[in-house]
Amino acid sequence: MPAPARRLSLDTWAVLLSLTLALLVRIGILKVVPW
Amino acid sequence: MPNTIAINQAATTATRPTATRPTATKPTTTNPLGLIPGILLLAIVGYAGKFIEQSIARYGKAHHHVLPNIEYVLWAILIGLLIANTIGVPELFRRGVATYEFWLKTGIVLLGARFILGDIAKLGGIALLLVFVEIALGLAFMTYLGKAFNLKPKLVSLLAVGSSICGVSAIIAAQGAIEAEEEDSSFAIAAILALGAISLFVFPLVGHALHLSDRAYGVWTGLAVDNTAETAAAGALYSDAAGKVAVLVKTCRNAMIGFVVLGYAIYWASKGQATGIQNKAAFLWTKFPKFVLGFLLISALASVGFFSKPGLLAIGNLSRWAFLLTFAGVGLRTNFRDLSKQGIRPFLVGAIGEVVIALVTLGLVFTADRLFHL
Repeated sequence: MPAPARRLSLDTWAVLLSLTLALLVRIGILKVVPW
Repeated sequence: MPNTIAINQAATTATRPTATRPTATKPTTTNPLGLIPGILLLAIVGYAGKFIEQSIARYGKAHHHVLPNIEYVLWAILIGLLIANTIGVPELFRRGVATYEFWLKTGIVLLGARFILGDIAKLGGIALLLVFVEIALGLAFMTYLGKAFNLKPKLVSLLAVGSSICGVSAIIAAQGAIEAEEEDSSFAIAAILALGAISLFVFPLVGHALHLSDRAYGVWTGLAVDNTAETAAAGALYSDAAGKVAVLVKTCRNAMIGFVVLGYAIYWASKGQATGIQNKAAFLWTKFPKFVLGFLLISALASVGFFSKPGLLAIGNLSRWAFLLTFAGVGLRTNFRDLSKQGIRPFLVGAIGEVVIALVTLGLVFTADRLFHL
């Protein structure tokens, strides 16, 4: 029986998205985020 | 290896917040495109809240009226509640709306940029101390109360975990670990969510009546409101600064989830009513909320000057947008009719427990404020 595929947890996805966004800000692609 | 199966089941369930609210339906497909309508609805409801807040402020300024500043958080929650409890959230939107917990965690991680590590060490240290006291009191009191009301023992465990640590996620994690019935966990979740909805309105009123500082109110909310989304909302309803502190304190509580769930798993296994845990370190890692690590990482990067000042502002605003989606989701996912179906006794136990915990933690915060000047 093949081993079930490991899925990333919700937390991990949230961390990955946050780090990506922070990196985009750091390298200047996301310069201004209005609020 | 049945214990591994139990852990994996709990972990899998814990990562699927769509099944946590009583109104939720389990996803039948994993197609990410199916999330888009619901996420758009979150954005529209959240932005409508922001638009109303700004419109009222503009109207007051233009007509020289002093109008109360009601934060967008409350408007977003109220619009969401109105939709969920009148026309209901159509099936098409439900999967996307259920992502509100993902946005909550993303918002918390990004919020790390607005904390310097020194702040976290200082406030987090005091908060951790208070969290230990709160968890011990919460577990003991809820267990006593549940027994006094003759609730089923495993339901008592779930209510105790939910009200002393972190609401829905803790209940789901504990349900898998102690092998409780699904009905028990939906009772416990309903009680915690109903009380969370009430605290959204009561906590800011009490805070204003007692003239609590932003920090003291934030610490109190972080200690006493159970579900993280409601904690963030109840904090932000008071002020932006209070919201930040509330999330930090709640994050300290969330970090304790693994230890308490492990304790309960060992207790029920010793009674022969749950499978034993062989690898405790792996169990703790499975239950540890990973977003706490992300929060600390972003905060560390901000502390060493990795981001420029405008960059920090941009990340802070990204965090605000993520929270905006979360607050819309809090309203849209709360269905009072479903919550009321769950029976009065678990709700009563939860309500009495919550009021006592809220009062005790308020006393703790007052004392800590005097001793450590929060």
